[in-house]
Amino acid sequence: MSAPGLQGLRPWIIQRITAVYIAVFMLYFTVALSAVRPFSAESWSEWVAWPGNNIGIGMFIIAVLWHAWVGIRDVVLDYVPNVVSRMLVLTLVATVLVGSGFWGFRGLVLVVIK
Amino acid sequence: MAVHDTRPFYLNLLKIRLPVPGVVSIFHRVSGVLMFLAIPATAYLLDLSLQGEQGFSRASEILAQPFSQLVLIVLIWSLLHHLFAGIRFLLIDFDIGLDKEQSCKTAWLVFAAEIIAMIIIAAGIYL
Repeated sequence: MSAPGLQGLRPWIIQRITAVYIAVFMLYFTVALSAVRPFSAESWSEWVAWPGNNIGIGMFIIAVLWHAWVGIRDVVLDYVPNVVSRMLVLTLVATVLVGSGFWGFRGLVLVVIK
Repeated sequence: MAVHDTRPFYLNLLKIRLPVPGVVSIFHRVSGVLMFLAIPATAYLLDLSLQGEQGFSRASEILAQPFSQLVLIVLIWSLLHHLFAGIRFLLIDFDIGLDKEQSCKTAWLVFAAEIIAMIIIAAGIYL
């Protein structure tokens, strides 16, 4: 079965753009953590609250969730042929991703406010 | 597809012998699914670690547990494989390493790179 709107150039290009951002941010994250070593409660909160890092992590969360959505959707389209089961699984996946996103963003926002 | 396809049709996983690029590809998928499964726990731990002294030490405790350490090792491998295989796929998008011989070479290169990266990370943690 074909799935209108779920295939084609758009998800393909999204997958590649988000992949590059994720890779670049993870490289920055690894280098920054090795250099700054914010491994205490206070310094870790400070590091995450710094605007550049806060926005960078926020964009990282969006990129990861979007990348995961496109990737898992491909897997589901391959292995779940039944339309109803497919919709159920995709809804569950979307719920898990959006829920995790809100959770991550809650931490990011609260650490800036307090 | 032709109606009378004479190619053999195997879906027996024990009989399929994937070439190396195929192994890189299926591991790319498996590692992606594993990391997807870890997203909720990761979001929870990020949020927890930012909740002052108590939250941070609770998050550290959770991560220090043997089970978490095992999960972390699997996730680090997943990340490395997904990253290196992903770079290889991006290069293939640009027609780099497209022919059969080169594609086998770069597939082996992906495995070599992730093993070396695992060793470097292990050395960084335990030395």
